[in-house]
Amino acid sequence: MLSAQVGVLDQVDGSCKLQCGETSVICSVTGPVEPKARQELPSQLALEIVVRPCRGVPSTREKMLEDQIRGVVTPILARYMYPRQLAQICCQVLESGEPEEQYSGKELSACINAVFLALVDAGIGLLASVSCVCLAITGDNEQIQINPSQANLIKSTSTHVLALQLGAGAKKVENVLLLESYGAFDEESMLQVLHSGEMACMETALELRKVIEHKIREDFIWR
Amino acid sequence: MAKDIDISSSEAKFLIDSLKQGFRFDSRGFEEFRDVGIEFGKDFGDVTVTVGRTKVHCRISCSIAQPYEDRPFEGLFYISTESSPMAGPQFENGNNTGEDEVLCSRIIEKAVRRSGALDVEGLCIVAGSKCWAVRADVHFLNCDGGFIDVSCIAVMCGLLHFRKPDVTVAGEQITVHSLDEREPVPLGVLHIPICVTFSFFNPEDAEENIKGDLNNEICLIDATLKEELLRDGTLTVTLNKNREVVQVSKAGGLPMDALMLMDCCHKAYKITETLTDQITSELKRDADSRNQFAAMLSSENARVS
Amino acid sequence: MSVFIAPGDDFHLESRDNVILGPGAYCDPRSQAFTPVNAGFEVITESKKGICAHVEYNSKRYVPAVGDLVVGLITGSFSDSYRVSLASFSTPVTLSYMAFPNASKKNRPTLKVGDLVYARVCKADKELEAEIECVDSTTGKDDGFGHLEHGTLVQASLAFCRELTFNAEYPLLSLLAKHAQFEVAIGINGRIWIKSEEIRHTLAFSRSLLECQDHPVSEHKHIISKHFKNVLNASS
Repeated sequence: MLSAQVGVLDQVDGSCKLQCGETSVICSVTGPVEPKARQELPSQLALEIVVRPCRGVPSTREKMLEDQIRGVVTPILARYMYPRQLAQICCQVLESGEPEEQYSGKELSACINAVFLALVDAGIGLLASVSCVCLAITGDNEQIQINPSQANLIKSTSTHVLALQLGAGAKKVENVLLLESYGAFDEESMLQVLHSGEMACMETALELRKVIEHKIREDFIWR
Repeated sequence: MAKDIDISSSEAKFLIDSLKQGFRFDSRGFEEFRDVGIEFGKDFGDVTVTVGRTKVHCRISCSIAQPYEDRPFEGLFYISTESSPMAGPQFENGNNTGEDEVLCSRIIEKAVRRSGALDVEGLCIVAGSKCWAVRADVHFLNCDGGFIDVSCIAVMCGLLHFRKPDVTVAGEQITVHSLDEREPVPLGVLHIPICVTFSFFNPEDAEENIKGDLNNEICLIDATLKEELLRDGTLTVTLNKNREVVQVSKAGGLPMDALMLMDCCHKAYKITETLTDQITSELKRDADSRNQFAAMLSSENARVS
Repeated sequence: MSVFIAPGDDFHLESRDNVILGPGAYCDPRSQAFTPVNAGFEVITESKKGICAHVEYNSKRYVPAVGDLVVGLITGSFSDSYRVSLASFSTPVTLSYMAFPNASKKNRPTLKVGDLVYARVCKADKELEAEIECVDSTTGKDDGFGHLEHGTLVQASLAFCRELTFNAEYPLLSLLAKHAQFEVAIGINGRIWIKSEEIRHTLAFSRSLLECQDHPVSEHKHIISKHFKNVLNASS
């Protein structure tokens, strides 16, 4: 389902190309670099996050994605290690895999995972690991689809994006970083989503960890 | 560009010295274009082009719009070349007012749109009220020089690869058929312009830049980022396979002989030829892989000639 | 040595007291809890003062730390100091006119914008601009620091530069030396300055250095001779 490569771009400090089902994004991270005066924060790392759509010009939808990514990344970055510095995070959607006018969940979950890998590749300090999944509830029997296909997404009654902060070798859930839901659903199905989302996040985290481990071995290939 | 990449005077001197001895850092010949990789995505009009380490993604999309009042028979065609910090921190997000960015988008605009590479009249659905608006979004992913040349290849590959949904017109009523309902139709591409950028280096001291009657400048094709940063002049020629010069752009820099220009066009033509052939063969390969059942469904029989 | 560790994991330590943290580890000032913040190999060493833990990781962007030997590029000069860049787009550092051997108020160093210097980081508080010096401040001698003339620069990954500097047994430099004479200055900031008598040798050296960082040590010999053959054939 999920495949990713890190270090795909060489002009930036960290990068990641991630494919999750029909969605594919590429993410770059540069930092810590010198910020412009208006971006500078006196005690911590400033973030510049850019999301660019696959077609057309960036709109409010992309601004919203940027804001959601910022919300997930800010608490896990070791921000106070880099006062008065800037990290530029740039996500380019290559294949959306969903009708862009109505949905953004698949792009969001792919972007968050890609940003995490790119940050690791850039060597910017992180306090914990992240993983993110997109879920959809379809049909009368309220079946939960993890990382739904475009067809299932359109059929769904509600869509959810869950991002978790993980620690201890990606085995312990430390915090919920993001839970975005759209559509009609009740409390019980919400709890169901959280439950299966947690399991799916753990699985995704293990995949991401494999990607990182592979990168580290490649990094020290000259040994 | 916001800030520039730092480059030392030692590196500049080393580059000129090695060029004088006939060496390029990547062991290429002076007139050698880097290997071009063209990769098509799952959707129509989704293409990634890599030239050396330069990487550009282009996505073609279309929608129905109203044509301009003064051109009721023509569809709309936009090319968007917005840079982002992904290609390198020297690019600022949403700021395309830098000299290099403007030059790049103008040249692509001139080479592709104004040269009539896309048949805009073929985009008309109902004269004066409905037409297709085709949009090419160029995304710069990695910058190692030659953005103009690579973007031009990417846009052209995208246009050639793209299919727009079929429509039926009944009076003012139009029906758009989805991709699984009817075979989508390709765009009318009239010719394939190819840009080739030459970079000039002055092996003498700076005085030569002004007087320039020696004409012993060093000329490189398809410069890398470092070569671009240190060059003294640049020239972009756009040609197509029919030996037509689409545009020539030389914005300042080292002065240059008319004969040199002719010479450059001849060199560029050779590259144009090979690149055009490569584009057509890659397109054919992609079309074949999409259409595995064509042979089975075809009524054509093997003929003995 | 090669225990893989990722951000948010726990260091494999028996006791959490009296631990000295190195690069890649962060101690929360409030809770005093510490975690690795980078993904890499966990390195735990015991010394007289206590147990040291750090993460050996690779990256491309240099963050100044005291004592590092760096290759800097002069980007500006002020009344009493130079502005030096250690990596493109990073915050510049200062090189005072007094941080040169035999410096005095009257004796100004003669570096120009665009020149390269080999220097040592002498101050690196994360809140302040870092400072570098071109003199060994204990002896007042130049100690090999100063202007790097001619030659060229190669960009390499930070871990590779560290290996070249600190591991005296790493065979790459001696393999290179078998082919021609050269001078080299390795900056921990990912910049390697290299110079030799002939342009083509310098070219072969820099190409080899670049390629070797993506290949295991066993292939280095082959890569180097390939590049040397390449430049020698081209010129004959």
